[in-house]
Amino acid sequence: MNIKQKKIRIFYLSLFFIILYVPVLSVVLYSFNDSSSTAYWAGFTLDWYRQLFNDRVIFESFKVSIEVALLTSVLSAIIGTASAIISVYVTKKTEKAMNGLMFLPLIVPEVALGISLLIFFSELKLPFGIFTLVISHSLFCVPYVHIMVVLRLKEINISIIEAAKDLGATRWQIIKTILLPLVMPSTLTASLLALAMSLDDVIISTYMAGPTTTTLPVHIFSMMRVGVTPKVNALCTLFLAGTFLLIGLNQIAGTKGGNIIEFEQKQIR
Amino acid sequence: MNEQLLSIININKYFGKSHILKDVTLDIKDGEFITLLGPSGCGKTTILRCIAGLESIDSGDILLYGESIKDLAPNKRNVNTVFQNYALFPHLNVYDNIAYGPRIKKSMGEGEIKKSVAEMLELVQMQGYEKRMTHQLSGGQRQRIAIARALINKPDILLLDEPLGALDLKLRKYMQTELAHLQKQAETTFIYVTHDQEEALNMSDRIVVMNEGVVQQVGTPGDIYNNSKNLFVAGFIGDRNIKEVKVLQKKGDFCSVKLGNSVIYIKPDRSLVDHDKCSEMETAVLAVHMDKMKISHEEVPNSLYGQITFVHYAGSQIKTEVDVDGELLTVIEYQNDYGSYSIGDKVYVSCEETGALLLPKEDTTGRGQDE
Amino acid sequence: MNKIKQNLPAFPILGYLLLLVGIPLLLVVILSFLSRDSLGNIIFEFTPDNYRKMLDPVYLRVFLNSFSLALFTGVITLLVGYPVAYFTAGLDNKRRSLVILLIMMPFWISSLLRTYGWIILLGKEGLINNILMFFKIIDQPLNMMYKFGTVLTGTAYMLVPFMIISIYNSVDKLDRSLLEASYDLGGGKWKTFFNITLPLTIPGIARGFTLVFIPALGLYYISDLLGGGNTMFLGNLINNMATRGRNRPLASAFAVVMILLVILVLFIYGRVTKSSKESLYQ
Repeated sequence: MNIKQKKIRIFYLSLFFIILYVPVLSVVLYSFNDSSSTAYWAGFTLDWYRQLFNDRVIFESFKVSIEVALLTSVLSAIIGTASAIISVYVTKKTEKAMNGLMFLPLIVPEVALGISLLIFFSELKLPFGIFTLVISHSLFCVPYVHIMVVLRLKEINISIIEAAKDLGATRWQIIKTILLPLVMPSTLTASLLALAMSLDDVIISTYMAGPTTTTLPVHIFSMMRVGVTPKVNALCTLFLAGTFLLIGLNQIAGTKGGNIIEFEQKQIR
Repeated sequence: MNEQLLSIININKYFGKSHILKDVTLDIKDGEFITLLGPSGCGKTTILRCIAGLESIDSGDILLYGESIKDLAPNKRNVNTVFQNYALFPHLNVYDNIAYGPRIKKSMGEGEIKKSVAEMLELVQMQGYEKRMTHQLSGGQRQRIAIARALINKPDILLLDEPLGALDLKLRKYMQTELAHLQKQAETTFIYVTHDQEEALNMSDRIVVMNEGVVQQVGTPGDIYNNSKNLFVAGFIGDRNIKEVKVLQKKGDFCSVKLGNSVIYIKPDRSLVDHDKCSEMETAVLAVHMDKMKISHEEVPNSLYGQITFVHYAGSQIKTEVDVDGELLTVIEYQNDYGSYSIGDKVYVSCEETGALLLPKEDTTGRGQDE
Repeated sequence: MNKIKQNLPAFPILGYLLLLVGIPLLLVVILSFLSRDSLGNIIFEFTPDNYRKMLDPVYLRVFLNSFSLALFTGVITLLVGYPVAYFTAGLDNKRRSLVILLIMMPFWISSLLRTYGWIILLGKEGLINNILMFFKIIDQPLNMMYKFGTVLTGTAYMLVPFMIISIYNSVDKLDRSLLEASYDLGGGKWKTFFNITLPLTIPGIARGFTLVFIPALGLYYISDLLGGGNTMFLGNLINNMATRGRNRPLASAFAVVMILLVILVLFIYGRVTKSSKESLYQ
């Protein structure tokens, strides 16, 4: 590849990434603007952040989001890992049925899924709140856990399982002493992914929220519909920081099981 | 010490349409080191896995101490396997790997386990490695831990599936001696699988030669090497010249055969080959070990006359190719004994009296005889 | 029977999924054939009315909007994303990992944030207008919000990483020796691209298009924030009807149609890539 082509490449990629990140950066930028409009730059300030910390409603919804995310993460990890291990032992037909049902929530548009759950839960006269949020969030998190654990399971050399059998282990003992320890890194990585996806969810959470329990994204969404306020910018910036913290955590913790970036690449493949 | 331990009776195994094991019958004696030898795909590993219970058999039976084990799951058989890639548990250290069997079967308390693990490590000469993780070990070390992990369970039989395949030549040779010693020390029956005939000849009390799912011959290394029962074994074991000859005359113990245009007398072993099957004036197959032949520049009685076409010096051996009336014979001799050869030399090739085997031409996959 | 025993462990999972996925969807389908009275209560009488109502030109316009949004999003992300994928595949390993990381990073950034950023940029007092006015390129702020194009920009922006990664995987798997053979036989850069690279990356393009098209039908918060009330899309319609409109049966009908559309797209995808062994989620 000659110099001219290299230059074109660099130019195009750079342009692309600039366009990709400018919207995000401008949100961050204006969160420090000492003015409530974006018409001009009035100076650097942390006022909006201060306002955030005093806002009770935001704080409440933040608590709800965290609680839901943590519970979803744990529930999805358990169900997803269990289903992955089970899928190894059952017949092909059952495996296909499991996969089909499990991935359905990802294929169906969130709006449709949202109102289907809305109808379902209201017919059951269940109170909307943490419970409905966690259940519905787990529906789109479990497939990811499942896939990641299945990928890891496939990497395990079959002779290790045979060796365990040879040495006297029953099927349950093999799961407990060999499979679970070996897939644990993948389960952890996937739970972090579930955590992130649950925190970010807007559409399903809108339907599943209760009268007093809304998640942070839903609240942010309603704030955004009203208009642009730097408070929202500040909130978003904090959200961003939290996201990077999660990625950082994952990078540190996920060296054995492969981190989420690698997984996403594998997954899209 | 030499009673019958394991009986394999007429087992057949199919993988889909492939008939992998054809009516295989074998008896394994208590305390022996027996090797299943054969080319890739001959079924030797399959037999091993059937004994371990990792594969099922389609017909026949397997008896351990007279009791059928063919329907027992692998974790219920008192038989352990050393896998080709060692299959050590990557998430456990050396100590926990070795302790896995007793712990999972709850056959020993922790105190007893500690003692046994120490004993095993001493047996395989890896004391001090308890805390190491398996990925920190070399190939040879992993293999020894795999053996320790299997032997700690005091199995009736230890099955070894080409355990030395991944090691380099020098280490392989060293481990061959080590394994043979280990077997005697552990006083356990070893069933060993390999495709390397030298390995089998070095280590085993008895060898089972197999090809295409059929047992070709069972015997001691000496038997297999010198007295091959059929063409396959003759060609597989040792380096032999295998040539078609015409049987001219039979006179008592001797036979005159014609190779190309030359005639020599040989004395094939009567007790092994059905001498009378090789009738006069018919074609048979002559199999002679390359290192049981001699080349001489001077005429020698009962020899074949030919011309040297190729000379190859390989360490302590000289490998010479001689063209005898269009037939190429290879002769292996040892350097110190003889002078130099040049291409084009006209020489005489003779073979030791008892080094030749005469086999009927049709006999390519005959059945071997048990001792 | 052995098979039942073997599949027993799967039953709890299957039950859980049937209960939480199968039944709700079934309810939606059932509801779509019912109607409601003026108080908002459900009348349990089978009627295909809801589906008939969809033929109303107002609603047809909504379908058209959503469909064209998804289509244009696909086309734009394809045109923008293909070069990105192509160039990335040609980078050396270190730089390539970095670039891929940068492409994937947006997945981790809140989707609301990413959409909100465009409000900041495109608003009357937004960054772009500020800069343009500052440099005296225009003297009146441009009206860029609440248009079809705004929603399109936001949606394409949100989904372009999917397209890029799909194409990238396809390009990455290309056998370089095929390209070299083409050059060797006299083909120039462009000819090689159109005759070899492009056809061989069609699976990636198809997959990318599908991964972009389907979400584009349903990301209603983008059309909500960037489109205002002017242009109505399918997602907004369903949302409005189900909540404010209090017409769950009608909303369900639209939801069913939306799901059918998705299934249709997946079916087409399956047909187009019949020869290729790739699957959407593996």
